[in-house]
Amino acid sequence: MKAVPKDKLPALLEELSKEGDLYVPSQAGEMSRFVPWKRDVKLDLEHNTTMSPKELLFPQTEVIYNYKFGEENTVEPPSPGSDKIILFGVRPCDVQAIRCLDEVFLTRTYVDNYYQEKRDRLIIISLGCTAAEDTCFCKDMGVNPVEAEGADIVIFDLDGEYGFEAKTDKGKEIAKKLSSFLEETNKEKPAAPSFSLEVNSEGIVEKLQKMFEHPIWEEVSQKCICCGTCTFLCPSCHCFDINSKNIDATKGFKYRTWDACVFDDYALMAGGHDVRPSKVERIRNRFLHKLQFFQERYGLFLCTGCGRCLRECPVGTNIAAFINRLEEVTVDG
Amino acid sequence: MNEITGLMRKKAKELLEKGVVERVIGWEKGMFFYSTTPVVIDKPEETEKLVWDDFAINNLAIYLLDKQNKEKKVALFVKGCDSRGVVRMIQDKQVKRENLYLIGVPCPGLKDPKTAVRGYYKDAGQVPKAKKCQECLHPNPVLYDEMLGSPVEEPQQIDRFAEVRELEKKSTDEKYAYWKEQADKCLRCFACRNICPACSCPECIFDCSKPRWLDKEVSTVQNQFFHMIRMWHVADRCIECGECERVCPAGLPLMQLNRKLLKDINELFGPYEAGMDLEQRPPLTQYDTGDPEEFM
Repeated sequence: MKAVPKDKLPALLEELSKEGDLYVPSQAGEMSRFVPWKRDVKLDLEHNTTMSPKELLFPQTEVIYNYKFGEENTVEPPSPGSDKIILFGVRPCDVQAIRCLDEVFLTRTYVDNYYQEKRDRLIIISLGCTAAEDTCFCKDMGVNPVEAEGADIVIFDLDGEYGFEAKTDKGKEIAKKLSSFLEETNKEKPAAPSFSLEVNSEGIVEKLQKMFEHPIWEEVSQKCICCGTCTFLCPSCHCFDINSKNIDATKGFKYRTWDACVFDDYALMAGGHDVRPSKVERIRNRFLHKLQFFQERYGLFLCTGCGRCLRECPVGTNIAAFINRLEEVTVDG
Repeated sequence: MNEITGLMRKKAKELLEKGVVERVIGWEKGMFFYSTTPVVIDKPEETEKLVWDDFAINNLAIYLLDKQNKEKKVALFVKGCDSRGVVRMIQDKQVKRENLYLIGVPCPGLKDPKTAVRGYYKDAGQVPKAKKCQECLHPNPVLYDEMLGSPVEEPQQIDRFAEVRELEKKSTDEKYAYWKEQADKCLRCFACRNICPACSCPECIFDCSKPRWLDKEVSTVQNQFFHMIRMWHVADRCIECGECERVCPAGLPLMQLNRKLLKDINELFGPYEAGMDLEQRPPLTQYDTGDPEEFM
């Protein structure tokens, strides 16, 4: 396997930044996120970021088109970018989340141009995990914590150097350009880290299919305050709302913003009917989407076990604890 | 199990069995040593879930605003801050005093699960006291039907406006730059609003779609507008429980905003702390002929 000595990493990133817009995980105040790489940006490769990298593919606010009206009405979509988007240090749970987003935005019936335009330019350099935090449970949600499936390049922390393995054609092309930084190493890939949190996701799809009317939803939703912390930090949540804004009497723009299925007005329809009138239905929808519906449609869990919602939920709602509680639930037939 | 936990369970069981209340709201233990989360209990046999420990930090008053709790007879465990939230809600006629059975718990100052997460600390003893609890002036409940345990000593030496005084020294441009930077971090997840015991409007201006006062666009201007309005709406209702700042995933220093307005209110209308006394009305909801009127 190839490897880059740790002291050469800044030079490698500098070289990488010539290939496109490079984003790296960095701590900024209380919040960490993927930020544009600059020489003085302090990398945080110890912990996963508070904000997931989804904001680079699917921004919180995104213009769909600009419009003008008057004698002639015009509609103009935003001009597409041209540079590559290179994400460095994405954790396997977040790579898996991008696979989920790919399914939603790029497969079956409709292709989302806005997502596709960025996705085509994306190169994912994943950092395999050598340690799991107490809130990590990716391995139980179908994720390989060391070698991220779907990444273009995977790097491994091998003490003093980073193992470097190109997985896709895009990744190999980048590796070629970085070859002067890479040396041969005889170190082995790291073993999967040990997890203190164990989640039993086996058979939960079949079980949940019979639990739509189960009293458990009332219980797990009681403490929810219906804020958007879990959905906005979630690397795979992808609901959005579309609005428009008039800048003045002759022009404006249509845009989309992240929405959250736990918000009070999420399922409120024109005419005033709300199909999910209370938080019981909202939490049920969120958990079933993560653990049942997405599996049925795409064969993947929409929860990748990153643990962000466990860490940040203001009232301690814990989807991992919910999954484990399902073991105690008995359903008819 | 500590003594207070035992007393809580016993009391809750008794209240449910005798039918004094239909529901008890307290805290239960979660998955990690640092997670102690709100819990709603309807059955006497489930009162064994209740706990009181270092991490029972959530202010439970907000749950009184839940539709499913509003018309019920509810027993609520209250620390100093929870009880002040309840006082505010009663004053605003959001809840009825006769529907509530308040069980006071003197609070030694608690710890924030968000500080303890990520494995820096191995047990509760190592985790420092939460920022909001370091700033707390009233750890003892101010309104209760009965109290578990004995009152703790109230701190005397805390200057609640110290941070604001520092900020006031900045120039206008520096202040603008500082608050712009804060606004840019905001995700508009509404955790600050939804966790707030002072934010009790059945329909919030930020959710209103006809007209839509706050654009859904997440931008500097919209975020500034959001925080400006939020802070004014809680100006003389904020009980300084610090929950907004504690739960903010982006780390916005929201108590600086809240305390700036409270400082101004104190300077204009005399000493005031929200939710301390059922009989004391918030200064901005009443008129007195002696009120300052320099702006007229």
